[in-house]
Amino acid sequence: MPRHWRAPLSLLLSAFLPLCTLAANSFENTAIVRTVELGGALVHVTTTYAVKALEDGSSVYTIALGEREHAHTAWLEAKLKGQTERLPLEDFGYHRDSGFYLYTIELPKALNVNQTSNLVIETVQTHATYPWPEEAAQKDPQSLKYHSELLVLSPYKTAVQRTKIRSPSPQVHSYTTPEDVEFTTDAVVTKAGATITYGPFYDIPPSAIQDFVDKKQKEIVIHYAFDYPVLEITELRRTAEISHWGANLNIQDNINLHNAGPRLKGHFSRLEHQSQAYFGKAAPHVLPSLQLHLPAGIHDVYYYDLVGNVSTSHLRTTPSTPKGTEANRFSFLELRPRYPLLGGWNYSFTLGWDSSLSDYAGFDSKTGKYVVGVPIMTVIPSVVVDDAEVAIILPEGATDVDYYAPYPALSESISTHITYLDTIGRPKVTLKYQQLTDKHGGVIYVTYKVPFTAHLRKPVAVATAFIGFFALAFAVKRVDIRLRRK
Amino acid sequence: MADYQSIQSLHKSTPAFSPTIPTFLLPYLAFLLLAATFALAFYFSTLPKEKIPARELAVASTASLLGGFGVVALFCSVGVYV
Repeated sequence: MPRHWRAPLSLLLSAFLPLCTLAANSFENTAIVRTVELGGALVHVTTTYAVKALEDGSSVYTIALGEREHAHTAWLEAKLKGQTERLPLEDFGYHRDSGFYLYTIELPKALNVNQTSNLVIETVQTHATYPWPEEAAQKDPQSLKYHSELLVLSPYKTAVQRTKIRSPSPQVHSYTTPEDVEFTTDAVVTKAGATITYGPFYDIPPSAIQDFVDKKQKEIVIHYAFDYPVLEITELRRTAEISHWGANLNIQDNINLHNAGPRLKGHFSRLEHQSQAYFGKAAPHVLPSLQLHLPAGIHDVYYYDLVGNVSTSHLRTTPSTPKGTEANRFSFLELRPRYPLLGGWNYSFTLGWDSSLSDYAGFDSKTGKYVVGVPIMTVIPSVVVDDAEVAIILPEGATDVDYYAPYPALSESISTHITYLDTIGRPKVTLKYQQLTDKHGGVIYVTYKVPFTAHLRKPVAVATAFIGFFALAFAVKRVDIRLRRK
Repeated sequence: MADYQSIQSLHKSTPAFSPTIPTFLLPYLAFLLLAATFALAFYFSTLPKEKIPARELAVASTASLLGGFGVVALFCSVGVYV
């Protein structure tokens, strides 16, 4: 997952240490409440831990994620309840003895014995749901299944815990009623409207151990109706090109869109589709159009695909906002692809726009450096991006290139890109990411210097071409092509 | 190597980028420079042959330089931001 923290060097050592020493300070969970907000491509899980310290000076709290949960988790963030500041999180990697992935959270203030604190851990899971039934006709509704574990596991003892699963619609087809659950005498599961509550479960011993998982952990499956298309961007290629002569930032997205809903059973009927649109009874797994919030102050927006320009789109721009301000105004683009996207279908397109460079870049006269901030992607709510590559193309002759990404990239490289009127080519910074969610709307900052002579490179290159023509004319004038000398 | 937060605040606090030549001037500049290039190229074609081609060289280099800047301004005016 693209993380907003770095894994420590002690990662290597941690694999060999027993679990008890890793849970460095002793805590006890007085209460754990896990709330799962079911969605389509993304599932938001919020876990609140009410912790009590058992030792003086306890400041490092450890959480454990099982293998399946870790594989699906694309975003992990820890905060104190009621506060907005993120707590420092460290990844201790896979702990072989217990079979869990461990993360430590540093509390802002160390707790003494019997002092309590409330931690809120927010995670976003991707590809955690799948359509069930796997095929659906054009008229059929859409339902998804979500698997989870019954108990929230922790390296510490837990006094009481419960899990609440909220479905986006009250239509839940089925949910697991686990049997032989030891930690409760009441009903294990209750349903109220769109919320299914598992628990409360009392007095759970330290559970982040493989033995506990094998003997006591149960799996739960929720089968629920989902009324919106499940969208995945399988590939996103973003290119941001900076021009100093034109004071322009061009951003171009090449997007491969995939509808991860149930596969279409039978053929697509245009008549059926039109009548659904006419009567307002749209099928939930059909995507007729996509709404995008693009940055403010853009112009010359283009949208084309393999066939050519796509004219079925509506754009409402807003005036630009100054550099560095929080994005609260957006240009609204409603994209209507050439064909509605049904379950299992793909659509690739290119979307690009120009914007003024003064909205994105600044010049620090003290160091002589330019600083530019390029957004990683256009955030589309509830859509997961499987594979993203962001390339930032700097002006020709840029030197001292440094880049700062909000989340460590899977791979980073600087290469040379050649385009119009280039002689030596332009530096291109490429960052690759995977499993980006709607929480990953960060900005990549790049600093660089461009000497004045580098700015003149292009006009001089064109001037050289002109001189070539003049030299040719000069030579031609002096060649005698007459057939007979006079 | 500065950290992300400091670069973020640097980005917010530094004055916005402003080009040496304001962008609204570029179409007019393109027209003027390319017109001058065209005129000088025409003049170049009328020049007689000389032993030391000082005048031809001078006219050719001026026309090329003006043409170089004119073409870059032209590219930016039509939307190819080079």
